[in-house]
Amino acid sequence: MVSRPEQDGDQQLRLLADAWDQAAEHWRDGPARQFGEGPLAALLDESRGYLEALRALMDLLEAAERETAG
Amino acid sequence: MLRAPELTADRGGVTGIHADIDALKGLYGALVRYRHAQREVAARGEDQVRATRTALADKASQLRAQAELAQGEYAGCRERAAQAGPEDLPVDCSGYARAVEQATGQLEQIQLWQQRIDDAASEFSGVAGRFSGLLGEELPRLEEHLAAIVASLERARQLQAPAS
Repeated sequence: MVSRPEQDGDQQLRLLADAWDQAAEHWRDGPARQFGEGPLAALLDESRGYLEALRALMDLLEAAERETAG
Repeated sequence: MLRAPELTADRGGVTGIHADIDALKGLYGALVRYRHAQREVAARGEDQVRATRTALADKASQLRAQAELAQGEYAGCRERAAQAGPEDLPVDCSGYARAVEQATGQLEQIQLWQQRIDDAASEFSGVAGRFSGLLGEELPRLEEHLAAIVASLERARQLQAPAS
């Protein structure tokens, strides 16, 4: 079964968060905090918002296909 | 909007940066992979919207043709009924009427879904546009920022190596 795009997007989001966690274990200074709390946090937030909107749209498409089948 | 923090690694050294280079390289690679993967996700989402719109348009076209055919048959039946004499068998057009009703009802359903999808896709386009800008412009800047930190740390390591 082919996964929905936003599910793959969620998976990518988790991978990036994991990569940050790993990097943060070896990068613990002011710039690291700036990076993690600033642009990276914004990137993750924006991504979550996008993926949530994509999920709602994909739900609607599935409902349309289901309700108009046959 | 993403903003790369001020790069504290200067040309001659890495003031304020204390990090394992491989860890930062790993993060850099993850950011690049993330950008490519999320672009693919966005493209698949757009493909899905396009495919559903096309499928609904095809169904609507078929139903429109069915409805027109059914209306023609219903009109022909009513004409036969109007022309029938008292001695003829009664002409029953109810089956044609039901066919017209069914086809037009299904067509209206399809048109409602088309409208809902148009509205939702229009609303989504704002969010998608921002995300596309993030992936296309802001994330590469963040990657460059990280790459600059890595390069600066590597230069510092090379400078320190002969002394150690």
